[in-house]
Amino acid sequence: MLKPILLVEDNPNDLELTLIALEKSQLANEVIITRDGAEALDYLFQRGQFAARPAGNPAVILLDLKLPKVDGLEVLKTIREEAGLRSVPVVMLTSSKEERDLLRSYELGVNAYVVKPVDFGEFVDAIADLGLFWAVLNEPPPGSLRYVRPR
Amino acid sequence: MYAMTQLSDEHLNQAIANCAQEPIRTPGSIQPHGFALFLDAGLRVLQVSDNLAKHTGIAPESALGQPLDALFGAGAVQGLRAEMERMPLRRNPAYLDTLEFAGGRYDVLGHEYDGLLTLECERTERSGGADFRHLYPLVGDFLRKLDDTHRVADMCMLAAHEIRALTRFGRVLVYRFDHEGHGHVLGESRDDAHPSFGDHRFPGSDIPAQARELYVLNRLRLIADADYTPSRLLPALNPLTGKANDLSFCALRSVSPVHLQYMRNMRTYASMSVSLVVRGKLWGLISCHDEKPCFPSFDKRTACEQLGQILALRIETREDAEELQLRLDMRRTMVDMLARLTQGPDFIDNMSGVFPQLLQFMHAGGGALVVDERIVTYGVTPDQEAIAALVGWLAVHAQGDIFQTDRLTAAYPPAAAFQHCASGLVAMPVSRIHKHYLLWFRPELVETIEWAGNPHAKASPQGQLTPRTSFDTWRETVHATSSPWRGGEIEMALEFRTALLGIALERAEQMAELAEELGRANKELEAFSYSVSHDLRAPLRHIVGFSDLLLEARGSESAERRARFLTNIKDSARLAGKLVDDLLSFSQMGRAALRPTQVDMGELVRACIDKLKFDLRGRDIAWQIGPLPVIEADPTFLQLALLNLLSNAAKFTAGRTPAVIAVSADSTPDETVFHIADNGVGFSMDYVHKLFGVFQRLHRMEDFQGTGIGLANVRRIVERHGGRVWADGRPEHGATFSFAIPKELLI
Repeated sequence: MLKPILLVEDNPNDLELTLIALEKSQLANEVIITRDGAEALDYLFQRGQFAARPAGNPAVILLDLKLPKVDGLEVLKTIREEAGLRSVPVVMLTSSKEERDLLRSYELGVNAYVVKPVDFGEFVDAIADLGLFWAVLNEPPPGSLRYVRPR
Repeated sequence: MYAMTQLSDEHLNQAIANCAQEPIRTPGSIQPHGFALFLDAGLRVLQVSDNLAKHTGIAPESALGQPLDALFGAGAVQGLRAEMERMPLRRNPAYLDTLEFAGGRYDVLGHEYDGLLTLECERTERSGGADFRHLYPLVGDFLRKLDDTHRVADMCMLAAHEIRALTRFGRVLVYRFDHEGHGHVLGESRDDAHPSFGDHRFPGSDIPAQARELYVLNRLRLIADADYTPSRLLPALNPLTGKANDLSFCALRSVSPVHLQYMRNMRTYASMSVSLVVRGKLWGLISCHDEKPCFPSFDKRTACEQLGQILALRIETREDAEELQLRLDMRRTMVDMLARLTQGPDFIDNMSGVFPQLLQFMHAGGGALVVDERIVTYGVTPDQEAIAALVGWLAVHAQGDIFQTDRLTAAYPPAAAFQHCASGLVAMPVSRIHKHYLLWFRPELVETIEWAGNPHAKASPQGQLTPRTSFDTWRETVHATSSPWRGGEIEMALEFRTALLGIALERAEQMAELAEELGRANKELEAFSYSVSHDLRAPLRHIVGFSDLLLEARGSESAERRARFLTNIKDSARLAGKLVDDLLSFSQMGRAALRPTQVDMGELVRACIDKLKFDLRGRDIAWQIGPLPVIEADPTFLQLALLNLLSNAAKFTAGRTPAVIAVSADSTPDETVFHIADNGVGFSMDYVHKLFGVFQRLHRMEDFQGTGIGLANVRRIVERHGGRVWADGRPEHGATFSFAIPKELLI
């Protein structure tokens, strides 16, 4: 069983586009959706509505930078400060390449920082590559087969 | 002609220096057409001129030590004494009597100077005594004619004619010393025997500085015969002082041999000069020449002196009036400019807006404003590169508050490249700290000057002054020179500069006051641009994304899915539009000025609810409006804030039946506080700090529409009034938004 991908995205349009992109990249991982930073942390810490979820960390967290209540940078900071979560790869998704966001993300130990491209084809490719690398290649579950992207 | 005197400048300067040391006040001699006696207070003869015998038959040596009675006879001396008692002697000679001596009839002039009482006796052909009565009609007539003339040149012409008619000199010139000291002939009256010098220039070096000084003290100087042999004083030194007599005020004073040579070179054998002193300075001369010796009597010379004084006075009033008019015009232009200069925030924009007035102000052909590396020009000017280089040079070489020249190439040779448009320059630094300059340019005035002889050919190579030998017209075409800047123009320019610096200082103070506000605005602006880059891009990306999906799918997707994509595209487009609108209103909010009046808050809240009615149709909302006071605030801004708060309350109570929205007010000594409370979804106090930030959202897009600007606007409006905003809430238990407006507005 592959670990799930945790997608944290508040904007319904971005959510739909990202899901379509993940679908197109034919990743087998389950995608868990949370809609703001607080909900994402609830999931990661298995509390609130996620208190009863099966134990285990996601394969990768796709984290939007701007989120209601608790924003992406705060979520990242909390993850990196928590021993049990520290090793989970985090990919920051954002609308713009504001330098201060980028620098702050690197400081906080982000694994990748992706500026959402305007062109949808590029967006699909970016999501597919990221999912492939972080969800599959980077941390192959012990004993599982390597996933080969179909041509 | 020029080749001979290539070394001229150096030699000329040397010769003039020698000339400057010539003892013109103490020549030790007089002109021989009269004789002089120097007496003590008791009228005892101390000195005489050595031509005494020629005029009176009395040997000079025998006269020394004698009482005057012994020389002139007791009767004559009694008359002189009576005249001196009636009108005590002064520095300038006065007419005392006409006496008969061996040589004929003589006008006796007396003055007291250098410790001595001086009697000068001039040969006269007149039968009776001097008659000054004809002076008054003459002066009156001249005054009347002067009143009809307005141009200074016309006045000079008139004076030349009057004086020639009075004195019978063959040529009378009236000239003004220009700003470089050259005499410029403005008026001339002459007979056919004398060549014209009309509009000619006499080089400034023709008249040494000490001669000019003497012209101010003693307003009339006569040389009756350039070929005269001076009569020496006997004894040579003033017995009272032991020094050579100071003859500054003597009518018969002998002049420098250099000057006599000058006259002979000019083929002039008699000359008379009347000084034109304007505002205490030697403005010009009335210069009378004749090719033959000529000796106008004392009463005629007195009339000439009077005419000269009247002319000088008229010139002074005329110039004063012109100067006043010039300054008045300049001041009007300046006030107009300053009014415009204070209008906008940007110095360069403001200055650029008044460039036409700036040129008019200084009567210039071009202007430039240099602010650090930026150069703005108007009119005809050198190119930007040349101006930049010029300013670089000015920064190093120009001292003081203003630099001005009408011959820029002389100080700054590279200016030759643009002398046609900038031979004249006035440059003022307009900042005390920065390299900011205001420049005015005057174009080249190519002028052909008719010199009365080549001014460059004066000194001999030996360094000894050789008076000019030629007075033939020598034409010189002057290049690289503009019309000179007037004193009034320079003074007004400085005044303008002071005003500009004043504005700058005032600005700086305003800046300091605004600094805090600016800091806050900057922070908001930063948040603003940050948000624009994030939030405005999102809907655009969505439109492109869903459009791509639609194109790519081409019917393979379900109809239901395609319909959703289309809806998403439409919603994104609408959101993008609303974002732009909201951002605009947000940024305008920061700029527009507040106009506080008395606002009835009850009325304002009810008006807001009316406005919202259409959007809220179908909703069940119980409005509870408490008693609300009248406060001082800007009604337009406050209505915007209330609309935001009320529509927010309506938005977040969407699921409640009924929705309850309450507006209430309470009062502290300093503030009026308003609360808008609802029973909606509320929020967690954990996130309250984000509530009023631009583009901060606490809810998902699909749950509650909005751009995230509304509450930022509310905060901005309230803070512009000097007030504060806050909020209280619990998830699912409603929210209360409050704001306080100070009773004394600090705007």
